[in-house]
Amino acid sequence: MKDVFILAIETSCDETSMAIVKNGTTVDSFTVLTQMDTHAKYGGVVPEIASRMHTENITLVLEETLKKSSITIEKVDAIAVTYAPGLLGSLLVGVEFAKTLALLYKKPLIAINHTIGHIYANNIDNKLEFPLLAMVVSGGHTDLIEMKRDYHFKILGSTMDDAIGECYDKVARVLGLPYPGGPNVERLAAQGKYTYKMPRPVLDNTYNFSFSGLKSAVINLVHNELQRGNEIRKEDLACSFQTTAIEEVVRKVELAIKNTHIKSLILAGGVSASHYLREEMKKMASKYKVSVNIPEKKYCTDNAAMIGAAAYPLFLEKRFVDFQLNASSQANIE
Amino acid sequence: MYTLLIDTHSNKINIVLFENEKILVKKELETEKNHSITTMPVLIEVLKNGNIEISNINEIIVINGPGSFTGIRIGVTIAKTLAYTLNIPIKVMSSLLIKAVSFPHEEINIVEREKNGVFLGKFDKENQLQGDYKYVSNKEYKELEKNNTKEDIAIDYMKIFEFAKKMKSTNPHAVNPLYVKKIEVQK
Repeated sequence: MKDVFILAIETSCDETSMAIVKNGTTVDSFTVLTQMDTHAKYGGVVPEIASRMHTENITLVLEETLKKSSITIEKVDAIAVTYAPGLLGSLLVGVEFAKTLALLYKKPLIAINHTIGHIYANNIDNKLEFPLLAMVVSGGHTDLIEMKRDYHFKILGSTMDDAIGECYDKVARVLGLPYPGGPNVERLAAQGKYTYKMPRPVLDNTYNFSFSGLKSAVINLVHNELQRGNEIRKEDLACSFQTTAIEEVVRKVELAIKNTHIKSLILAGGVSASHYLREEMKKMASKYKVSVNIPEKKYCTDNAAMIGAAAYPLFLEKRFVDFQLNASSQANIE
Repeated sequence: MYTLLIDTHSNKINIVLFENEKILVKKELETEKNHSITTMPVLIEVLKNGNIEISNINEIIVINGPGSFTGIRIGVTIAKTLAYTLNIPIKVMSSLLIKAVSFPHEEINIVEREKNGVFLGKFDKENQLQGDYKYVSNKEYKELEKNNTKEDIAIDYMKIFEFAKKMKSTNPHAVNPLYVKKIEVQK
């Protein structure tokens, strides 16, 4: 079969990214322009600034991506773009840009759900092995998903309140760590011990998660200690928090492994860049002879290569969209 | 020679296709805040009515605001992407400038309204901007003296076209919306 090249565009949050992906698995060209330093000044992503920066940089990122590619834009088979979920204003820049390219070069347009993109990041230089469990952990998601085949998603459980990544960011803030919180909490936790008593999140046998109790406990503990004039052992608190949060994720995944007949487990989303989560998950999965797949770190955070990977099955099924495509801040994957 | 004008700064999307020195197709569509669904289909309809392909366009004029943040981002994103990929000249005009150009005057203060306030720009008789564009709240605007101030001006696209002919083109990478209004965190 002829090789399929997809030009993919991702602008759902604070990264302007484009990639040309071959057959949904090989990255031919890849660019990520992050706005992290700008948003760090405000302690988090400012949506209006993110949209503005996408507009400023979009043609530059295209130029860079085409320069690095082995093929010309005329030779790509389709244009794929993240249309949801994410920051509406940011998504819109990518969507209009993608439509313009699709019109000009007469290419089919493929609309991709960002969360599905994170899952398909595991298909880059790899192959999804069905049936599988996907644990999506990011700033917006904590979803445990069962997949029997391509684009067949069954959500087993989700967070009932905060996403795990959001929780990391809040803990980072209360510990006075700069944005983005996740990597900074993890770095600190690696130097600490589990000494602070943390409330265990949902101790039930569903696949749902809850992190707001844990988050509040950390915030209250810091405030109470400060009021009493006690010093906080930040590394120990970071370690106590992280251990509790990750333990809960691992426990729920283990429960799902026991109750389903899956061949592989994949991790997806920004928090899957966490070294600690990766190691704990591998340790647990090895007991059940389930293979664990985790994307390379550069494909864990927001990027367009995963969008190109997720677009490939849709391209094969000719699931294209028209020029009325709109962006949406929310979307279901089921 | 085809020139494409894209104006999405308000809830009225305007796409105009010029052939040589004349308007070939003009389409205006009032949108309920949904520039994303409508802009590209309107552009496609204009091209179809003009019986040309997008790749036949030789030049672009884009109205980059001030106005609806989302609107101008959509118009500017489409326009700069076309100019860059087709490697054609792009000319940038503000929403206030196109009003000034459309209305014969000596010295004039142009007003562009939005929900909570107005954008202001002062132009001389050659349509050169005097000073900077300003944004004032509705309350502040009420208290301003309004000499030679004009708000409702029907846009004359032929005059815009003629004016744009004398303008220098901009590098597509550097074409950006004109917001004027600061956002909360930057205040």
